[in-house]
Amino acid sequence: MSGVAIVDYGINNVRSVKNAVEYCGFDPVVTHDADAIADASHVILPGVGAFGDAMSNIRARGIDEMLERHVREKGKPFLAVCLGMQLLANTSEEHADDGVAHRGLGWFDADVLRLIPNDPALKIPHMGWNIVAKERNHPILANIRESNLAFYFVHSFAMRCRDAGDVVGFVQYGQPVTAIIARDNIAATQFHPEKSQDTGIELMGNFLRWNP
Amino acid sequence: MLKKRLIPKFLLRDGRLVKYVRFFENERAAGNPVTTAKVYNDYGVDELIVLDIVPSAASRGRVVDIIERMSEEIFMPFTVGGGVKTLDDVNMLLRAGADKVSVNSEAVRRPEFLREAARTFGDQCMTVSIDYKKISPNHASVFIDGGREHVALDPIEWAQRCEELHCGEVLLGSIDRDGTMSGYDLEMIHKAASVLSVPLIVSGGCGSLQHAIDALEAGASAVAISSMFLFTDHSPIKLRSHLFSRGLDVRASSSSRN
Repeated sequence: MSGVAIVDYGINNVRSVKNAVEYCGFDPVVTHDADAIADASHVILPGVGAFGDAMSNIRARGIDEMLERHVREKGKPFLAVCLGMQLLANTSEEHADDGVAHRGLGWFDADVLRLIPNDPALKIPHMGWNIVAKERNHPILANIRESNLAFYFVHSFAMRCRDAGDVVGFVQYGQPVTAIIARDNIAATQFHPEKSQDTGIELMGNFLRWNP
Repeated sequence: MLKKRLIPKFLLRDGRLVKYVRFFENERAAGNPVTTAKVYNDYGVDELIVLDIVPSAASRGRVVDIIERMSEEIFMPFTVGGGVKTLDDVNMLLRAGADKVSVNSEAVRRPEFLREAARTFGDQCMTVSIDYKKISPNHASVFIDGGREHVALDPIEWAQRCEELHCGEVLLGSIDRDGTMSGYDLEMIHKAASVLSVPLIVSGGCGSLQHAIDALEAGASAVAISSMFLFTDHSPIKLRSHLFSRGLDVRASSSSRN
C-alpha cells in the first residue's frame, strides 16, 4: 500500500489538497479508480460545491461502494473536508427540492442544516478564520497547541450530530457549529486544513501519519 | 468567534505587481507576486486577493501560472479576478488553485452570469468586486472596466442585487481613495455592512493602522490593503498585533500563538 488517494468526484478545485499532501512529503493521486483507492494507504474526500450534485456524482461513479468497502469495512484512514464531511451525514437540506432533503452516505447519525444566524451582524457564508474548541483529543490534532486551533472556514450549511461522542470540536458562530467529527478510522473537518496555513498543514501531516 | 480578516490586495499588469493612485495615476512597480505572496504568508495574513487589471488572453496564462506557483507553497485562501467573463474563466482559475473568483464588469453587463456561476461553482466561490466613485458631493456611482466606464448604478443597491444573484462575498472599493492612503470611505462601509448579509471586504485608502481599525469598526468583515503594505513600514505583522492589542477580534499573530 502506498500513496494517498484524493477522491475525484468531478469537483474542480482539488489542487490545493493535492499540493498540501505533497508539501507534507506524501504522494497523492486524484482518482475515482477502485484499484487506486484499494492501493492507497490513506483516503481523502475533498469537498467544494453543492451537496446534491456531489452525491449524484459519487453514486454515478460507484464511489459510495468503494468507500464503503475500503474505508468502512477494511478500515483505511480517511479524512473528509468541508462538503466532504457533510456528505457523511444522513441528509442535507441544501437546495432541497420541495422540502425533500438530499440523502448522504449516512456514516454519521447527523443532518446538514442551513446556518441561520441569530444576530444580523453575523454574515452568511461563515467565511474566514475561527477558533476550534476541543471536546476531546484526537490524533489529527496531535502537537497542535490549544491556543493555536485557528482554521479557515467557508460554508453556509452545518452538520448536527445526534451522538455527541462523534464530535471532536466546535466553533462558535452565534451558536456552536460542528468543526471536527471522528469515529474509528474516520475523521472529518468542516474547515479547510489545506487553506489553514501552518496549523492546517500540521493537521494534514498528522492525518497522513495516522495508523488507527 | 469568527475573526476579522487582513487581506493584501495584489494588482497584476502583465504578471508584474503594480500599484497606482486612483486607478490610473502614478504607476509604481511593486515586485514579484509569488515572492511577495510567500513573504506575506510568513507574516500570517488571512487571505490574498489577486486582480489582473489589464486582462487579455496572454495575461490570463500568466495569472494562471502565478496562482499555480503560489498554491504549491502557500496554504491560504486566494481570491482571483480580472476579465472574468465565462464559466470557463471561473473554472480555469479555480483549477489553478483559486478558492474564490472575483467578477466585476461582467456581472454588471450580464447579471445572470453571476447567478449561473454561483449555481455551477457554489455561492461561496463567487466574489463580486464593485468599484465606485463620487459623481457629486452626495452621490456615488459604480464604474466598470477598471474604472473607465461609468454605469448608472448605486453601489449599495448593486451590492444588494448581487447578493440576490447569490454572490458569496462583496469586495467594495473606492476609486477616489485608491492608493491615496487617506483612509477608507467609512460612511459607505457603514451603509453597506448594515444592509448586506454576505461578508464585506473593503478596499481603497488604508494608510495607517487606525484606518484599518476604523473600517473594521464600521462593519467590514475584512480589510483589503495594498499601498500601505507595499510602500510603508506598516507590515501585516505590525497591523495584526496593533489590532489585537486594541481589542479587535483578529487572529493572534503566529508568534503569540506558539
